[in-house]
Amino acid sequence: MQEYREKERDKEWLDYRKGREVKTGLGGRWGRWATTLRGHWDIFKRNRLGLFGLVLLIIFAAMALTSYIPPLIDTMYDPMTGVDPDILWTQGPTKAHWLGTDFIGRDILSQLLVGARIAFLVGITAAFMAVAIGTSVGLISGYLGKRVDMVLMRVADIVMVLPGLLLILILSAVIGKLSVWNLVIIIGLLRWASVARVIRSQTLSLRERPYVQAAIISGASKGRIIFRHIGPNVLPLSFLYMTFGVTTAILVEAALAFLGFGDPGTVSWGMMLQWVWKTGNMFRAPYWLLPPGICISLITLSFYLIGRALDEVINPRLRQR
Amino acid sequence: MHLGKFILIRATQIVVSFFIILTLLFVLFRVAPGDPASMVIDPQMTPEDVEVTRALFGLDKPLYQQYLICLKNFVKGEFGSSFYYGKPVIEIIGEKLPNTILLFTTSIILSALAGISWGKVIAWRRGSLLDSSVTVIGLVSHTLFLPWIALLMVWVFAYWMNLFPLSGMITPELWLNPETGITMKVLDVLHHMVLPLSVLFTIHFGGFMLIMRSSMMETLKEDYIVTARAKGLTERQIRERHAAKNAALPVVTTLGLSLAFSINGGAITETIFSWPGIGRELVFAVSNNDYPLAQIAFLLIAALVLVANLVVDVLYAYLDPRIKY
Repeated sequence: MQEYREKERDKEWLDYRKGREVKTGLGGRWGRWATTLRGHWDIFKRNRLGLFGLVLLIIFAAMALTSYIPPLIDTMYDPMTGVDPDILWTQGPTKAHWLGTDFIGRDILSQLLVGARIAFLVGITAAFMAVAIGTSVGLISGYLGKRVDMVLMRVADIVMVLPGLLLILILSAVIGKLSVWNLVIIIGLLRWASVARVIRSQTLSLRERPYVQAAIISGASKGRIIFRHIGPNVLPLSFLYMTFGVTTAILVEAALAFLGFGDPGTVSWGMMLQWVWKTGNMFRAPYWLLPPGICISLITLSFYLIGRALDEVINPRLRQR
Repeated sequence: MHLGKFILIRATQIVVSFFIILTLLFVLFRVAPGDPASMVIDPQMTPEDVEVTRALFGLDKPLYQQYLICLKNFVKGEFGSSFYYGKPVIEIIGEKLPNTILLFTTSIILSALAGISWGKVIAWRRGSLLDSSVTVIGLVSHTLFLPWIALLMVWVFAYWMNLFPLSGMITPELWLNPETGITMKVLDVLHHMVLPLSVLFTIHFGGFMLIMRSSMMETLKEDYIVTARAKGLTERQIRERHAAKNAALPVVTTLGLSLAFSINGGAITETIFSWPGIGRELVFAVSNNDYPLAQIAFLLIAALVLVANLVVDVLYAYLDPRIKY
């Protein structure tokens, strides 16, 4: 009876996949990929907050892309160096400057658009780095166990209790102002520990699975088992943690720029807030104070919402019945 | 004596971690480009003078000796003098530390309590309008950009409505007046504390609430909840006594893990509100290239986080008798 049921279930699953494959119109490996993606998308799109996050993300991506346009129209729209010759001090929205200008007459809208580019750049690369390190450490630590595990996890413990932003502050005092790329590397080096923890526990359970035992018996090397057999199975989890990592990375960059330690060569949202705060315009210029803060909060919200929706795709237990 | 042994082990670990952080910081300051003495060395000094100055700071000695001296001074409690204030670092820090602890612990405790009580209520009413609206509020609170919400609150409540002071911790005139009683002083500090506290509360509330909500929903699936129902207990009893108590445990764990992250926010809040704490002092010291002060302030904050982690661990062991060490 049990066997019959399993067969029946397998058949249903195959039919389901076949149906999907026909719909996607792709065969072979790509067809299978498309099928899996379709299945995941079906779950994802039931989460309304996740969809909202996705819409926000698309808007911000559009902002990042349009950021190239204003400087082409007129050099005074250059976010860093463009100055409107007619305006000497901050001014509210006008026809020429939809969101007004900052304290030396630079266009706030063009700065806001470029800020999206910086946020994506810092957020995604830093999170990618943190997740790449975290996943590798977690896999190695979980599979090798024993002393390697102990040492790596103690290191992770210490990294985890370091107040990241303050350490970056100290670093920028010692090294001098950090460029965006240095900042990305440092955030990556500081934020991997929690990912490593999660991947490690996942690895611990995966390494007991029959297929890993089979790989060991057939003589696969440790590296091959870790990265070829176990690795792909933890990747969904890594991806999930990457979306959350983007949130933290963006917030850290923005906070640093806000405190006045940002890369002086870029315009980011945190930097814009610093300018409005330091030039004492925060009570006078809501058109300048509100947009950057709204953007930072919404972009982090968007990645966070997407992360939560992905969490439901990966962990079936979280789904609403 | 299980708990005693556990505390001892964790305390040792914390001391070791602390010395590793100390070493890291030492290495960082030495491998960094630029001589630590360059702050005091004048370009017009003769090479001999430069040598004398370097010797004065102990920079002519090999690195390992410098490290040992650094350790020795640290253990003896000699932290050096601040470049900026010209006072011993320990004095400055000693003044600021209580202020930080006051603001930070109050905000964490308040937001954790509020997060737990709201989380349990909305998990209980899963799927209701209350659930979805409070969840959205929590999500927004969790992802808000702290400096921005702080500036907004200052703008609305301090500048516009004039309800609270713009910044600082005390009103100097009030404190200089010898006739002011202790109650007035306390009230004055509280009055200054409302805004920074609300900012930190707004930022931390969401995270705690979301964790409590998901933890509570997991707990409600447990068998003992069914048992409690079968026994005929009231809904309120089940929620408060059986579910919420167990569900709150993961919140305590997260509390420990997120401390390092929330202290960053604490430093930013202190800076914006000119709250005289060590976070603000650290930001200040970094802007002024005041290395001794920055170093010690950072170490102290790290120590604070480590100790707070220990407290959370012990609290956890106390709250959950199932935990064996």
